[in-house]
Amino acid sequence: MSEKVTLSVNGHEVRVAAGANLIDALEAVGIDIPHFCYHPALGADGNCRMCLVEIEDGRPPIVPACKTPAAEGMKVVLESEKIKKIQRDILEMELINHPVDCPVCDQAGECTLQDYYMKFDLGDSRMDVAQVKKDKRLDFGGGVVHDQERCVLCGRCVRFTRQITKTGELGIVNRADQARVAIFPGKPLNNRYALNVVELCPVGAMTSRDFRFKQRVWFLKKTPGVCHGCATGCSITIDHHREKYKDARIYRYRARHNPLINGYFICDDGRLSYHLENENRLETPLVKGVPVTPTEALDAVRTHLGQAKYPLVVVSPDCSLEQLYAAQMFCLEHGAKVSGYSAAAIVAGDGDDYLIKDDKAANRPSLNLLGIDTSREYLREALGHADLVITLNNDPFTDGADADLSEMMKGITTIACATHHCEFFDNADIVLPIASYSEYAGSVINSDGVLQRFGRAVVKNRPVPELLELLHALGGPVADMGAAWAGMRTAVAPLGAVDPDKIGEHGMRLEGL
Amino acid sequence: MSDRSQLLDAGRPFAFDETREAEFTRLEPRYPERDSLIMPALWLVQEQQGWISREAMEYVAERTGAYHAQVFELATFYTMYHLRPPGKHHICICRTLSCYLREKQLLVDWLAANLDLVPGAVTEDGRFSLEEVECLGHCGSAPVVQVDGVFYEDMDEEKLGALIEDLRSEAI
Repeated sequence: MSEKVTLSVNGHEVRVAAGANLIDALEAVGIDIPHFCYHPALGADGNCRMCLVEIEDGRPPIVPACKTPAAEGMKVVLESEKIKKIQRDILEMELINHPVDCPVCDQAGECTLQDYYMKFDLGDSRMDVAQVKKDKRLDFGGGVVHDQERCVLCGRCVRFTRQITKTGELGIVNRADQARVAIFPGKPLNNRYALNVVELCPVGAMTSRDFRFKQRVWFLKKTPGVCHGCATGCSITIDHHREKYKDARIYRYRARHNPLINGYFICDDGRLSYHLENENRLETPLVKGVPVTPTEALDAVRTHLGQAKYPLVVVSPDCSLEQLYAAQMFCLEHGAKVSGYSAAAIVAGDGDDYLIKDDKAANRPSLNLLGIDTSREYLREALGHADLVITLNNDPFTDGADADLSEMMKGITTIACATHHCEFFDNADIVLPIASYSEYAGSVINSDGVLQRFGRAVVKNRPVPELLELLHALGGPVADMGAAWAGMRTAVAPLGAVDPDKIGEHGMRLEGL
Repeated sequence: MSDRSQLLDAGRPFAFDETREAEFTRLEPRYPERDSLIMPALWLVQEQQGWISREAMEYVAERTGAYHAQVFELATFYTMYHLRPPGKHHICICRTLSCYLREKQLLVDWLAANLDLVPGAVTEDGRFSLEEVECLGHCGSAPVVQVDGVFYEDMDEEKLGALIEDLRSEAI
């Protein structure tokens, strides 16, 4: 795609990728051609006719842009009266039987039909016959709710189930004005990527049972993030909002396009994993089960650290690269051992050959990169003579297979720096709540060695400290992200040439892992 | 055209009989794209059972290896496939442009008034069923009615009445 061609659009010359279809080619230089059915992951279908453009070179005068490759010298006209008329006509046709229920539609604010109507049409309805009624609130399974009346029959959802998941649950049945998207009776959506059809739908026909009526989309703040649901580390957009008189919370995750990792889609488990960020969170520091102030809790930890002869730190493979490095340096400072053993995060057989991995940890390759031991033997050995265990959001002790480790923990003072309630964390001698991944900035390395950076999305009303700050407050030498990177670039060879500020929205593949 | 997507259950599983099985086996190698087998398979079902039940669609999906939704699409798109047991005489009234402009609605209304028959339904005595269909290709002599595969052109209510009277006079 590196080859470029020069073509003219409305008389202005642009340089675009040769061979790409006109929608993609012109989008890359900031020119939008309206379309419903085309999607780069699903290919050109040419059914919606919204992307028709004029080409002044003797070919049939009007062609669909999605099926027309950019070529040298091409003269593309997007703004002629003829094209504008076609766009108005198509919108009028799409709106004949559309319910125009935007005030109660989840898609309002991010609806292609709504946007195009405002941009190209603005016409009044000329229809004086009864509208065709179709079915609403159809449960398609997989958390997808369908409204046949809002549908523009672009077929993206149908093509998704046939081309991407190859499960083919959806079809367009009937014909003409009765045509509608349907499932075969008794054969609902049954794949782990089904909710992508909600995101693919250009209008409000496919809605997510999880998100329906929860929030108007124009209130949502959209922050780029990385899914921590498994080792794939799909790029996501975190949509969050603080309602008046309430705390900030996440309303949904959406797939964020990343050609290095997930393309245009994410799995349903990952998409719904935002619930974990909202729920069951640790908020108050505890010493022996009694709520204390953060200062009191830190003082208690410092006392224990001062007295311990053989401290052991257990880190989580979900911690960010910077946090893991800070933890490593913290251990050096305090003469502590560090283990990254976390077999419980691996769900054997759960992965597939698409996006879902067996390993549910987001950043395991960073443990190896930093040389943090992940073996069971090392942890067992260290536990054998440890007199203080500080767990950084890792619980390798509760899993049934590791019952012997939990037995060894008895009698050892335990400090849990943790994001969520769980039996082990709640029963630690000291509990320090820490921020979860939507509340801090950091980097993770996925199972393919792609390093991604993400920013802080959610700021709670009463923020709990980020692990890096907490470790610094407890005497760790790494003061902030900048210090972490300065240290890592010297100490960790594959990161030597990495400029953390130039990682980019798609991340970068690390060499020499 | 009416909504054809509410499928009817036969209440029993479907399988090709010996004749249709032999025909299906003969057809199979002709369709390297197995999706294309759906339509001939649906014809075989209709030939055998008279109509296409939900169970039969599932059977066709299994036999052709197609998605259930693909069979569903084709069976509901083409009005030649009966998704209900049809009447003894199956009446198709074209609803596409020429016939629409030449007032096919008068014919539909006539059937509703005189036989209590609406598109997609069967008369109580089981004699007639009615389907509104897309273009039958006789636009020059619209409006067109097709009864049991036979075309009746330049129709009006009077001609339709006479035709129905003829068919009605047959012994059941």
